[in-house]
Amino acid sequence: MEYVNPLTGLRIDGRRPTEMRHLKAQIGVVSKADGSALFEMGNTRVIAAVYGPREVQNKGQQMNNTEALVRCEYSMANFSTGDRARKPKGDRRSTEISLVIRQTMEACILTKLMPRSQIDIFVQVLQADGGTRSACINAATLALADAGIPMRDIVTSCSAGYLCTMPLLDLNYAEDSAGGPDVTVGILAKMDKVTLLQMDAKLPLDTFETVMQLAIEGCKAIAQYIREIMLQNTKQLECRRGS
Amino acid sequence: METTQTTEGGGGGATGIAAQMEVEAFRRLFPLPFYKRHLLESVRPDARALDSARDTTISLGPVASADGSALVKIGETTMLAAIKLEVMTPSKERPDEGSIVVEFYMPPICSPMVRPGRPAEVAPVISKQLLDVIRSSGMVNLKELCLISGKASWIAYLDIYCLNADGSLFDAALLSAVAAFTHLQIPLVSVTEEGRVFTVSSEQEEKTKFELVNKEKRKLSLSSIPFPLTCVIHEDYILVDPTAEEETVMETSITLVLDTLGNLVSIYKPGGVGLASTEIMKECITRTKRRIQELKTILEESVSVMEVD
Repeated sequence: MEYVNPLTGLRIDGRRPTEMRHLKAQIGVVSKADGSALFEMGNTRVIAAVYGPREVQNKGQQMNNTEALVRCEYSMANFSTGDRARKPKGDRRSTEISLVIRQTMEACILTKLMPRSQIDIFVQVLQADGGTRSACINAATLALADAGIPMRDIVTSCSAGYLCTMPLLDLNYAEDSAGGPDVTVGILAKMDKVTLLQMDAKLPLDTFETVMQLAIEGCKAIAQYIREIMLQNTKQLECRRGS
Repeated sequence: METTQTTEGGGGGATGIAAQMEVEAFRRLFPLPFYKRHLLESVRPDARALDSARDTTISLGPVASADGSALVKIGETTMLAAIKLEVMTPSKERPDEGSIVVEFYMPPICSPMVRPGRPAEVAPVISKQLLDVIRSSGMVNLKELCLISGKASWIAYLDIYCLNADGSLFDAALLSAVAAFTHLQIPLVSVTEEGRVFTVSSEQEEKTKFELVNKEKRKLSLSSIPFPLTCVIHEDYILVDPTAEEETVMETSITLVLDTLGNLVSIYKPGGVGLASTEIMKECITRTKRRIQELKTILEESVSVMEVD
């Protein structure tokens, strides 16, 4: 199947190879949570809610007294993918993604400022069309910012692949399941450091460099968008406060 | 008690904020007297009257990949319902009926009370209530879910996710289930030579050589739609459509479900300190009847908005 049309150079959903899907984000969607955000990348729609810092609920899990405990749970709605047959959480993929998101966010939260407390990040996928891992990390960043949790930098994530000898940015589900390599990168935007890097399938080293650079460019574009959204949100809050 | 003074505002502003601190502390420390003070004036902390419900909105079709879906908000309480249809062989006792499976989830995002490993205890209760009400109201005629009598019929998986839990969970959940069934469209279906039934999407429709089992996409015809209303009782006061705070403070809730023909479908009063005399029950029924008119209008408006698109 041709994922990149040789005549027009466009992908199956009409995008150019280095074009990302349409981004949309909204802060404060769950009023009961300390911080929450809805993040959309094309058809992938994800809600993240942050509760914390609050008292540690399971003393057994608390490793040391000098840092906050970060916990994350990822779950997919039953109707989020094409066919319904899935166990929404507790299956291996969900556990792995929960771990990945937790460790990525732990890298940027200043946990030493909140000892003996717990920060819970819950992510719920409402619609999945490829790139759910990245959408979850981006949503979690916005939710943590909404909750006012001190962070080193904003973490953004994007995926890129390599099909029909072309590096492609931000794969959707069809392109992801094509069997080509899929590189997911998560960076700390301003510090320009990579915190998450995952790849599967075979890729020669120099092609890998190109694909990873493309993904990092995507991350920076998302970081720009996230900053705009946070600025808009702050202006609204300022307006409501009446100053 | 010394209250903290802030630098902003002059004398009037400072006492305003000082009073504000007192009120919030009073609300947390003595919730029942706080509510009592409001009830004496026939008003609630969010400025609603005792018998008015929160703003309700219904939006149909938010989940494009599902056969029917709806997003319902009652105040801050948000529910997302989606129906997916799959083909199954009907049972021998009922060869021309399909079936409905209802599942209600409260993921940890919805409330600080829900944690992984400690699921909300109301979730399975509401799940069962929903299934009972949908079955007993007869809203969906199961014979409409039949494809080929004795060989194939539809099983409708209804999944409802609570995205924000702020009281009246059952109300919002039932409303979202009803709205999702209103939006449901049964897809076209065709049979292979081995007798396997599969769904045909609209693009394949022109190209298919197989005979289509049903000629056109259709919606279910729903009769007697059930609409719910939850009230909390405190002494002689009835508060309609409680928020999560009101539900925790007043503890006794009654849920009534009536259908559009005026029949009582379900009464649910799971114990509680407050006792409901016949007068209180009659009052609740009157309030529910009024609420049904409101909900019916809102549902019809959302259907016509969707059809315009």
